Amino acid sequence: MRGVHVATSGMTGMRAAGDLVARVEFAKSMKIGDAKAYVAKKLGVDVMDLADENAMKEVREELGLGTMTEFRETPKGIAAKMNIEKVLDLKINSCELFRSLAGFI
Amino acid sequence: MATEYMTRMGDGRRVFMTREDILADIEAGVAEGADSAEVPALSEEEIEHLLEIVCAKERIVTVEPGNEIVMSQDGGAISIDSEHTSGVPSGRILATLMYERGFCMDSIDFGHTDYSFKPVKPLISVECQQMRWVQEAVTVPVLYGAMPNMGLYYTPDGPYENPGDLMKAFKIQEARESIEKSADHLTRDIIWIVQKMMKSGGADGINFDTTGAAGDGDFFAALRAVEFLRKEFPEMYIEMGMAGESMLGIHGELEYKGKAVAGLWPHKQVELAAEAGANVFGPAVNTNTTRSFAWNLARAVTIVKEASKVSPIPVHVNMGNGVGGVPMFELPTLDALSRANKAMVELAHVDGI
Amino acid sequence: MTKDELFSELSNAVISCKKDKVLEAVEKARRELDPSEIIDKGLAAGMNEVGILFEKGRLFLPHVMMAADAMTAGVKLLEDDLPAGAVKGKLGTIVNGTVEGDVHDIGKSIVSTMLQSAGFEVHDVGRDVPVQVFIDKIREVDADMVGLSALMTTTLLGQKEVITCLKEEGIRDRVKVMVGGSPATQAWADKIGADCYAENASEAVMKAKELLCGA
Repeated sequence: MRGVHVATSGMTGMRAAGDLVARVEFAKSMKIGDAKAYVAKKLGVDVMDLADENAMKEVREELGLGTMTEFRETPKGIAAKMNIEKVLDLKINSCELFRSLAGFI
Repeated sequence: MATEYMTRMGDGRRVFMTREDILADIEAGVAEGADSAEVPALSEEEIEHLLEIVCAKERIVTVEPGNEIVMSQDGGAISIDSEHTSGVPSGRILATLMYERGFCMDSIDFGHTDYSFKPVKPLISVECQQMRWVQEAVTVPVLYGAMPNMGLYYTPDGPYENPGDLMKAFKIQEARESIEKSADHLTRDIIWIVQKMMKSGGADGINFDTTGAAGDGDFFAALRAVEFLRKEFPEMYIEMGMAGESMLGIHGELEYKGKAVAGLWPHKQVELAAEAGANVFGPAVNTNTTRSFAWNLARAVTIVKEASKVSPIPVHVNMGNGVGGVPMFELPTLDALSRANKAMVELAHVDGI
Repeated sequence: MTKDELFSELSNAVISCKKDKVLEAVEKARRELDPSEIIDKGLAAGMNEVGILFEKGRLFLPHVMMAADAMTAGVKLLEDDLPAGAVKGKLGTIVNGTVEGDVHDIGKSIVSTMLQSAGFEVHDVGRDVPVQVFIDKIREVDADMVGLSALMTTTLLGQKEVITCLKEEGIRDRVKVMVGGSPATQAWADKIGADCYAENASEAVMKAKELLCGA
């Protein structure tokens, strides 16, 4: 069922930039058009690129935003989210908790 | 003989209908939705567009590139491994990773198998520890998901007398008092659980799923919790998904910020959700199993479109088994699911599903 | 006033949920109309509308109860006018509950309330109800119908179990079975041999009347 939703209209999560747009919708209460424009501007890409796996792969790898495939030595999880914080200019609660537990703050 | 198109009934059965019959059902569904929710009907152009979507020859339809939206999965982590659905013995953490890297979701909710707030209270330390694991491994936003489910606060499950029993005995005032006490208790429990989950679990936020399932008191309790939590955690993500299309008035006189809660339809529910501090609103429009897919989808799109239009926050429409125009069937058929999805994006202008 | 206007006044009085309005309308109507007409085409029609307005979120559960209370008072007022032996009693006796394993209560309670408001004698046996409790209650109250609610796909099978047990006990033929709850459908009702499926509470009242009163 999820597969059909994704195939019909999904941004495909980490395959492209769906998770980043979702994060901005949540963090800034922005509707889809504004959220896409915000992310595209921060990443320096076109809005059309955001659901395009081919366009986003290099961007995610270069900026360390997390990738779908494991064999690339790119950050994932908490490490990727720390990069997402910087790139999208927002705070992520799990990163704050991690820094607090690690004694960084 | 007129060409017939393969389509569905609201219970998922395959039927063949002429274009004229489908159009008639769309028009009737639009009219019913507009009348029930007291919202504007779809225009002739929109009805024509919907007709094209329903009558498409392809098994699956899609939006145009560039018009994609966000997929926020609710019930995500438990819908893989729980006995309620697929029963794959994966565990919740593995299921969450599967949603991220296998199913390509844009955000996921992670919850307890029971999926209600109340039973989580004694297990909160376990839930926080599991959420920390998830947050270290997963990149996409992960919200803790739970249902307010105020029914658990009434006898025999909870300490307050069942308002249903009191109503049947014509004890209306006593029933209302019981609802108010339960709502107070539920608000306290939600706040306590979420405080722990944000501070110790590191969750991105909370997904309030099937809000209002126990009527206006349930919605009222959740709104007050959202308001409190928004003040304490200004940056947390709060998604408020609804249980049904019209807010059942079990109490009937509860007000939130001076507005009556009972009887609200999605375009009014979202105003309160946003005012309380939710970031994302999830309207639910119920499917009538005895009407056609075309009728149900037209009705759902009419109702959700207005919610989306007036909403100051993103709208992620509920589109699973029996909601959002999707037929009520354990395995929603792909043709109907895809058509309903496309219609919600292109006609109701939702921000996510 | 025409007959239709009087029916409309009676119906509107019930929809207003005010007992004094209903009593006033009944007093006025009884001078012109047959008491059974007042009940069927005026008061009961109003109560049906109350159910529909509840489903649409225009009226709330307390209103339904107030309307039912007002209607009962109106019917009581007419009892002396009805011919001997024609005093309308209950429409039928119904046992209603949510099947074992399912703790959902609210929807089932609303159905019980609406059935009771419509004039049925309702025995709500609660939620998470073992099969034997349904059977025992049906026997105890000599029920005409049993309502089986289930809110989860995993608990739907409980409805079938009750029907099987009714057959085993030899009482299936004298008890109508109604099923409901979000995952239930007409196809499911047909498959398990239920007598009817109701989409919502007002439809439950309508179907119960059809099956038990031939209305």
